[in-house]
Amino acid sequence: MVKKDLSITFLGVKFPNPFCLSSSPVGNDYDMCKKAYDCGWGGIVFKTIGPKSYVINEVSPRFDTLTKEAEPFVGFKNMEQIAEHSLEENLADLARLKKEYPDKVLIASIMGNSEETWEDLARKVTEAGADMIEMNLSCPQMTSHAMGSDVGTNAELCKRYCEAVKRGSKLPMMAKMTPNITDMVPVAKACLEGGADGIAAINTIKSICNIDLDKKIGMPIVNGKSAISGYSGKAVKPVALRFIQQMRTAIPNLEVSGIGGCETWEDAAEFILVGSKTIQVTTAIMQYGYRIVEDLCNGLMHYMEEQHVDHLEQLVGKANKNIIPAEELDRDYIVYPSIDKEKCVGCGRCYISCYDGAHQAMEWDEESRRPSCNHDKCVGCLLCGHVCPVGAISKGEVVFKKTAKPGRKVQDVRL
Amino acid sequence: MSEKYLKEYEAGYTPKLVMEEASRCLLCHDAPCSKACPAGTDPAKFIRSVRFKNFKGAAETVRINNILGAICARVCPTERYCQLGCSRSGIDKPIDIGRIQRYVTDYEDCLKMDILEKKASNGKKVAVVGSGPAGLSIAGLLALEGCSVVVFEKDAKAGGYMRYGMPEYRLPSSVVDKEIKRIQKLGVEIRTSTKVEDLKKLQKEYDAVVLAVGHSKGKMLPMFEGHRFVKTAVDFLHDCKKKKGNVKVPDNVLVIGGGDVAMDVVTTLKLLGVKQVTDVVYETFSEFKASKKELMGAQEQGVSIMDGFVPVSLKGKTVRFTHRFVPSEVKVKADLIILAVGQATEAGAFGLEVNKLQEVEKVEGNLFTCGDIYKGGEKTVVYAVRSAKEVAYKVKKYLGGK
Repeated sequence: MVKKDLSITFLGVKFPNPFCLSSSPVGNDYDMCKKAYDCGWGGIVFKTIGPKSYVINEVSPRFDTLTKEAEPFVGFKNMEQIAEHSLEENLADLARLKKEYPDKVLIASIMGNSEETWEDLARKVTEAGADMIEMNLSCPQMTSHAMGSDVGTNAELCKRYCEAVKRGSKLPMMAKMTPNITDMVPVAKACLEGGADGIAAINTIKSICNIDLDKKIGMPIVNGKSAISGYSGKAVKPVALRFIQQMRTAIPNLEVSGIGGCETWEDAAEFILVGSKTIQVTTAIMQYGYRIVEDLCNGLMHYMEEQHVDHLEQLVGKANKNIIPAEELDRDYIVYPSIDKEKCVGCGRCYISCYDGAHQAMEWDEESRRPSCNHDKCVGCLLCGHVCPVGAISKGEVVFKKTAKPGRKVQDVRL
Repeated sequence: MSEKYLKEYEAGYTPKLVMEEASRCLLCHDAPCSKACPAGTDPAKFIRSVRFKNFKGAAETVRINNILGAICARVCPTERYCQLGCSRSGIDKPIDIGRIQRYVTDYEDCLKMDILEKKASNGKKVAVVGSGPAGLSIAGLLALEGCSVVVFEKDAKAGGYMRYGMPEYRLPSSVVDKEIKRIQKLGVEIRTSTKVEDLKKLQKEYDAVVLAVGHSKGKMLPMFEGHRFVKTAVDFLHDCKKKKGNVKVPDNVLVIGGGDVAMDVVTTLKLLGVKQVTDVVYETFSEFKASKKELMGAQEQGVSIMDGFVPVSLKGKTVRFTHRFVPSEVKVKADLIILAVGQATEAGAFGLEVNKLQEVEKVEGNLFTCGDIYKGGEKTVVYAVRSAKEVAYKVKKYLGGK
């Protein structure tokens, strides 16, 4: 039975493990959060609390999913806005949770619509007992343009609001970024200048998941119409990792809470390796429940054991230096596929993909129904390896291009 | 008592499950399944259509290639054909092609799709004798070519063995009805309860005559002849189907035979509530003729199966068997004995030389044979469809069509 210390300190606050609910429908009230803590979540970002004047009125239905073949959905579209309960109720829930779970981390997500409201909310959640504040500068489905992702793309405004929050509270604070922007770095920098201690990324991506083909309306259909709203789930993980990597490269030692499609301990490890100290989850919980934290924690412990590390800290950002600009990559060699004829079941998918999607290097023996690679044509893209359903194709012989300097060596190649 | 017999044994896929199964398919480059289908139904193509959510396109592929697609989906011994070479077997188990095909044809049915389009009339008249799988298929195929086709059927309903042989739990009559309706919609006229007496006369009245009377007669072994408690499988299954399972059967039945027909008989008996069903089979399990699916179905129902035994004598209602390889004998006493030891054609009744019929598909003049009569090929629906395609081509050429 593996036992590893999963605790980690993020923005000066010690988390029993890095897994948190993200600010969303999964942390809507006291009862839900209590169950999540009991299931083993290390922290909770309570569903975003807004100003008293902003009345939440949700649509029905409000979700949509992107599916592929018979897979459970890979992407999730959500139209829900911020907390629907009254400010008083939310604050009371925060207070009760902190009192009953002093060792767990409680983060208040807030969203104002003016410097005054940001400052006021910061003060109130601090009084309620929150350990940390997350500024929601990024919800893409707000019904007010003074709130949400429209704010998050305006660096100057973000900075001013961060300053306001810092006036209202001395708690550690992270600013939650919108991915609906080309470059997140200027906004992140502005937030840090405004007093943010760390960054949470990413919020959801503006999306249209599906369109009803008969009615010609986006999904979900809300009394005859639909709207663009936030997309999350496994499908957005690559986008999240990219933004985090870019911020960690541009802003040394930036403390990040990673968000975006974490479902398994492997996803979590990836977020950690690109520099996240905590990982926030929603979509996977909506799909499978709070219980997923068991395998997130246990799987991560096993990974730590395999990596011979005793503290998660040792893994944070370990991949950052290995992700470099494309122009700096080694372009001196090609690697040919190696085909395991024993494993091969003869489906010919590598042949089809190589012909139709690559360089016509894979040859097909009609008799034996087995592929072979023509090295004269192969460019070493290894598309074949990605489409093989049985993993029979891996990297094979490495050959240097004529343009390569003599004596070159290749250490590590993997598809 | 007949309730279990009347209910289709295997449930159809739900949309989710059919996608799951289609996603297991490796989408082979030169798919062995499509090469192996005797009728050329092209499972690789229709499974790919399912995989890419084109159910209508999948239905078109099945129907255009196999005029009895919904029936084949249910009764085809796919493990011997399309599923035999399935590349997925290299990973775990073959794709359940029959069941995907059933989903696709059920979909076609639900949407009332009209896929087949016939050519303009070519003024040629064709008579088809027999409305089993071969007769119906070739009638439909020739109607598509623009021929005016009349099918003669001696029984009260069309369908032949599909109607009166295959048990209801495996092939519901409603499915047969729908397939026949599709063929009638192409303009094929089916004259039931019409026995053809004079083949020569038919040959004069029509531009071409196709004899598709199949193997409709159950074989009897000499020692069992003349006993009231002995029946052929063909007669027994016919009776069950006709009476919708409301048949009287004793509590202890012996079945002799180990092909798919024998499996149909023993499973039917169990579904009808017969307590003791004993099946004695000439082949040993390693040489078994019935498909594994049917064998497993029978075993699931609790049939006692003894393999490798040959019947040697009958005394009263007791049959003595000896084993083919082991010095061993067994005596089974039963109140009803059903023989499922093969079938023969009744084509001889037309004054034709059966041996000669087995050799050729074009007999003489404008007379052709189609389906089980021809000795090549297996006695399955899918082979009947294949034969119909081949013979239809020959008839078309004979009639001067392009």
